[in-house]
Amino acid sequence: MSTLLSQIVNGLVLGSLIGLIALGYTMVYGIIQLINFAHGEVFMVGAYGGLAISTYLLPAVLQQQWWLALPLLLAGGAVISGAAAVAMERFAYRPLRNAPRLAPLITALGVSVALQEAVRVFYPGAFSPLPFPRVFLEGAYVVPIGDGVPVRYSGLLIIVVSVVLSVALQRFVDHSRQGRAMRAIAQDRDIARLMGIDPDRVIVTTFALGGVLAGVAGVLYGTDLGFVNIDIGFQTGIFAFTAAVLGGIGNIRGAVVGGMVIGLVKTLGGQYLPGGTAYDYVWIFVVLIAVLVYRPQGFFGEPERVRA
Amino acid sequence: MIATPLRVAGGVLTVAGTYLPWATFVLNDGAYPAKATLEFFTEPFGVTGYRAHLLALGVAVVVFALVTVPGQGRILRALGVGVVAVSAVNGLWITVAGGGLGAVTVSDADVAFGAPVALAGGVLVLVAGGRGPQEAVPAWRRRLPPWWERLILLGVFVLLLLVVSAVLTSGGQGGAANVYAGAVFLSFLAAAGAGIGALHASGLASWVAAVSERHRGFSVGVLLACALALPFTGAGTEYWMTVAANIGVYAAAAIGLNIVVGLAGLLDLGYIAFLGIGAFVAANLSGAAAARVGVELPFPLVMLVSAVVAGFFGAIVGSPTLRVRGDYLAIVTLAFGEIFVRSAQNDIGGLTGGSNAIPGIPPLSLFGHGFDERLALGTVEVAAGAAYYVLVVLVVAAAMLVFANLKDSRLGRAWIAIREDEDAARAMGIRTGQVKILAFLVGAMLAGLAGAFYAHKTATASYESFRFIESVTLLAAVILGGMGTIPGAVLGASILFVLPEKLREFSDYRLLLFGIALILIMRFRPQGLVPDVHRRAELVSDPEQPTVALPAVPVKAGR
Repeated sequence: MSTLLSQIVNGLVLGSLIGLIALGYTMVYGIIQLINFAHGEVFMVGAYGGLAISTYLLPAVLQQQWWLALPLLLAGGAVISGAAAVAMERFAYRPLRNAPRLAPLITALGVSVALQEAVRVFYPGAFSPLPFPRVFLEGAYVVPIGDGVPVRYSGLLIIVVSVVLSVALQRFVDHSRQGRAMRAIAQDRDIARLMGIDPDRVIVTTFALGGVLAGVAGVLYGTDLGFVNIDIGFQTGIFAFTAAVLGGIGNIRGAVVGGMVIGLVKTLGGQYLPGGTAYDYVWIFVVLIAVLVYRPQGFFGEPERVRA
Repeated sequence: MIATPLRVAGGVLTVAGTYLPWATFVLNDGAYPAKATLEFFTEPFGVTGYRAHLLALGVAVVVFALVTVPGQGRILRALGVGVVAVSAVNGLWITVAGGGLGAVTVSDADVAFGAPVALAGGVLVLVAGGRGPQEAVPAWRRRLPPWWERLILLGVFVLLLLVVSAVLTSGGQGGAANVYAGAVFLSFLAAAGAGIGALHASGLASWVAAVSERHRGFSVGVLLACALALPFTGAGTEYWMTVAANIGVYAAAAIGLNIVVGLAGLLDLGYIAFLGIGAFVAANLSGAAAARVGVELPFPLVMLVSAVVAGFFGAIVGSPTLRVRGDYLAIVTLAFGEIFVRSAQNDIGGLTGGSNAIPGIPPLSLFGHGFDERLALGTVEVAAGAAYYVLVVLVVAAAMLVFANLKDSRLGRAWIAIREDEDAARAMGIRTGQVKILAFLVGAMLAGLAGAFYAHKTATASYESFRFIESVTLLAAVILGGMGTIPGAVLGASILFVLPEKLREFSDYRLLLFGIALILIMRFRPQGLVPDVHRRAELVSDPEQPTVALPAVPVKAGR
């Protein structure tokens, strides 16, 4: 019983993190119908950015105080990831805005490989996993059910931050002027342009927002697990993409719910399905294929339009 | 016209740069190839290596600047790019490896002006280009007596063989023991590229292509013979034969992927899995000690079984195409690829060896003679591994045959129709579902065939060789070469698998450069190096088509 509960807790923590990244996929796809394959690497870059700040910039005194160190790391990771996402949009995707569908997708693969390798080659010691400072409170709160279900404080932090940020994002898209512009571009780019909206600016804002969220997720990931690795971007990116599709791509609430479901599939599948944790990735991919084949519009998506 | 004197001046500067010293001292590991040092004064006219190339390019610039020929501007542009590339590669290399600017500027009051002068010459030629790029590639339509044409084709193909052999071996084997390899290779590649570019710009390349189209059977036969003759050239050592055989494996797989992506337009991001399936099937049927299935079958049968099993999985992976299109399909194939890697990593059913791989797959043998041994044909010694090379050439030739026949068949036209517009194709009565699954099936079979060969050649089958990045590399090979064409797939595979062999000292940056290259290709030349004529028309609006349409010959054009 407590195994089940603690796996559910683990799943929700992982799911919140995945959901945070999935928001970036879902927003970009919603606006320009591009699977931004490199978004997972933006998450990875954020994690390494946070690590770099804590290693090279923050004085040790500040590191001791989590309420000082954590916001600084989060902000740093967010800025670095946001910058990476903006640069990526500007130099890789914008020139291909009107190219055939295949071209941006292949470019995205190239960006993904290049980002991952750039960090591996240029970040000192990045060829092997690096320890990440646990800047948040260590230890866990034990929920008194059965033998006790531990909930790590850092895990709790992930859930809270993720929920707060996705609610804020939803409000931003629904109520702000920028958000309205984003929705207009998503519906019809040409008409939106006629109405005086600059598509390039809106698109770059979308990339920046997604990048910021991914950067936050990267720092939270490092804080929670205590290490970062080069390939977290690819793996987590695929999970997040799956979550975005599962929730209905283009839908913010869907991304978060999809993330939770994927997190639960991974932890519970690793626990209870044959093959154990060695096969937990496989179950996620199975879910991905099944969703794409049988319900490509996901939980909350619009009924399917014709996709080219 | 001011252009002519400028061009002549550029050519003269290039020649002058050739004869100036390139470095102010002898490099640590001995003189840079062709003695790019002050010491060359002991032998002032004996230029070799890249300086011989530069000399040839410079003289050619002067000649073509003075003699008016069709396509003059384009020819000079190609030569100028070659001069710039060769002098930049060598100048940079001497600077970087020689320890900073001191290597080429001032040291002990000596100044090495070679690189800057030659570079300036190249830039001058390019600047004087004027109307170069706008000029149409001249179309030669002269016909010669058939026997003359065949003789010319024979000469061209033999020349091609020698160029391939020279490119393969230039600079020698890269690595710590030979630090010059990468620079020498790149420089040679640039010079050869300039020569080929100039030939293309003169319209002669298109003419040869048209001639070879007229004598198709003859050309194919001679090409095959030339390919089989590679072990008898300078590339006939064990190392280069191994490299060439590896390229062959990926070329065959790239042709298979080209069916799926290039013809049918279905993006497959997990394609390497089929190569893996072929390899694991072959490993299990090879009688290797570590294999779970202890059966040993003759190799032709193993190839057949591998192809069939891979094709079966291809049909499974392809079946979602019935419901999923476009990028979503790409993600589904990626998911299948990842499932394959994870399963292989976890030694699913004991069939893949997991992280131990399946080692000790016995080498192939014919008439009791192992393929990995040296072979003596009469008095001629053939390097070990040459037999594998010959076999892989036959496999690639078979893949080409399949591709070429399918492309012009009813099925191939159906694939192309689906690529262009799936709904319209369906409306025209094409059973799109079956046809798309067939594309996956045929592509997977070719990969399975190559995989069976690969397992025996490398003697191991490990999941490590079939990761996502390998799928991306294969895809990049197809795109770089040009989607939907045979020479494109082979050329792309060769480039992507030769470069890492040659540029060992850059091996840390290999994937980084690869990623950047992928971005740049999609940005600047999405149609690839050898574009498919129809496909090119979709991707670029290009004023450079020859004025007279030639028969269906892929026309390579600079943009």
